[in-house]
Amino acid sequence: MVIEKKQTGGSLLFDVLQQHGVQHVFGYPGGAIMPIYDALYDSDVEHFLCRHEQGAAFSAVGYARASGKVGVCLATSGPGATNLITGLADAMADSIPIIAITGQVATAAMGSDAFQEVDIFGLSLACTKHSFQVTNVNELENVLHQAFAIALEGRQGPVLVDIPKDIQLATVNAVLNDAVNLQNKVKLPPANVGKAIALLSQAKQPVLYVGGGVGMANAVDELREFVKATALPSVSTLKGLGALDPDNENYLGMLGMHGTKAANLAVQESDLLIAVGARFDDRVTGKLNEFAPNAKIIHFDIDTAEINKRRAVDSAILGDLKVNLPALSVPLSIKPWQDKCRQMKHDFGWQYDHPNETIFAPAVLKEISEKMPKNSCVTTDVGQHQMWAAQHMSFQDPSNFLTSGGMGTMGFGLPAAIGAQISRPNDCIVTVSGDGSIMMNIQELATIKRFQLPVKIVLIDNSKLGMVRQWQDLFFSGRLSETDLSDNPDFVMLANAFDIKAKQITLKNEVSAAIEEMLDHNGPYLLQVKINAEDNVWPLVPPETANDKMMEST
Amino acid sequence: MNDYQLIILADDKQVVLERILQVTRYRGFLINGINAKVNTGTHIGTIELMVSSDRPIELLVDQINKLIDIKEVKVDSKTQQSTA
Repeated sequence: MVIEKKQTGGSLLFDVLQQHGVQHVFGYPGGAIMPIYDALYDSDVEHFLCRHEQGAAFSAVGYARASGKVGVCLATSGPGATNLITGLADAMADSIPIIAITGQVATAAMGSDAFQEVDIFGLSLACTKHSFQVTNVNELENVLHQAFAIALEGRQGPVLVDIPKDIQLATVNAVLNDAVNLQNKVKLPPANVGKAIALLSQAKQPVLYVGGGVGMANAVDELREFVKATALPSVSTLKGLGALDPDNENYLGMLGMHGTKAANLAVQESDLLIAVGARFDDRVTGKLNEFAPNAKIIHFDIDTAEINKRRAVDSAILGDLKVNLPALSVPLSIKPWQDKCRQMKHDFGWQYDHPNETIFAPAVLKEISEKMPKNSCVTTDVGQHQMWAAQHMSFQDPSNFLTSGGMGTMGFGLPAAIGAQISRPNDCIVTVSGDGSIMMNIQELATIKRFQLPVKIVLIDNSKLGMVRQWQDLFFSGRLSETDLSDNPDFVMLANAFDIKAKQITLKNEVSAAIEEMLDHNGPYLLQVKINAEDNVWPLVPPETANDKMMEST
Repeated sequence: MNDYQLIILADDKQVVLERILQVTRYRGFLINGINAKVNTGTHIGTIELMVSSDRPIELLVDQINKLIDIKEVKVDSKTQQSTA
């Protein structure tokens, strides 16, 4: 359908966003984006004012990851635009489809070091899938259509569109074409699964290694059917959590630096590794040339550039997982191996007995996971609490566990939870944070207050930058450099200042009632869980070490 | 170190050259020389890029191919040689 309409560039932006189904955007106004905010005034698109542009970017990421839709954020030129950069880099590392719209100084002023001018187009090159700068208002509509197509096509990712102020104000006779589809630039050859089937049929000790690509490809059902048909022992990356059924008897948990002992040992002993939407990240492999040393590799991916990037493969299956995974579904005769993996899972299971009265964070997170409503969504920040959440909470879908995987960005959790809550207003959204991370985007408590978002904040508080402290203890002779946070603010008082109900617990016998009170509360809630500052995350594979040489305690 | 010459066809869009140079540096390849021209009739740019690295050239070819404005990347096999 074609509609002709005379309007400004700013107004056209919102029409095209709506054409692509965008109902919600996150942003912060400023001088060079004022015409867009003026057009917003008349638009049906709902805007959520964040309190920092980084918060807007992470809310867009959380929105996208929780809903499967494109997340959109807006910022002004200069510092507004540069404040988006960390969120864009995070979205790039985790392949998240967001679109960032930045205001720019007027075209006549560009390149003159004008007030609040920065070359965000140039800065975007290393942290976006693609970027545009619109210098002719007649190109704006097509650029926006392309931005959506690029963000969603193939391996998803962030796209930035920089729009100078005069382009936002210019009148355009918009056509409002149907959204364009990108031509599939890199033609993928039809997947040849013959070799992969032969490898799988011959394998005696195969392991399925599942990454974030499964959720991105919307192929959770196909993966689970594949697992049902093959009964393969399986492991997950951090970003893959939720793709595999956590209750499956052959599921061994997360692999890698803080993976389970069973998962890491199974992978190290495997003779065939079937990587599905995973990229042999250094936090997964440990010392690369000792990773799964006897395994042949089958690699399913959508991105040609991931094949042979860090580990040479024996069979590459490129393309859509929804199509390709079922083609490899063959029954296997690997009972002795399955039995061994199950035995390891049993022998090396988590232990929750903890000797004293202080609170044991893994047990708290496990209890929250068991008590929170079905289809709750958990976001995390980065550090010890993140690894404990990954180890001890269970998820039935990747869209229910949002964590900064590739970039490891502290400050992610709170704004990501805001985005998730807005995209899924009827679901319980829990953010697990640490006393270091939460301070990185603490201003977003104001966004929670303004929109009365019922986000549940679980603050695991050891008054330390815990993960760095753990590494300083283990690998830097206990020289604790700049990791003490014992002068943190009173978090209960801080939450109350934003009209958020809050409670601090310090003893094990307070945990259950506090979790129930938090989950039953009809509104935002902050639960500050004080833990022992010396608690460590185990197991731990030390840097540049093979995954079977993990440390289990000191 | 191995030397390679890449022949890249790209849409004549703004910053395409900048994008190629950024990816080349980031992925661990030294740029030894560059020739670039645009055919104004077809709006297709041709970029000849001389690079060297210890890393396999396929890693760079795959990454440049991912850039949206790139139409084709070829390695000129005649130029492939070791300078170690």
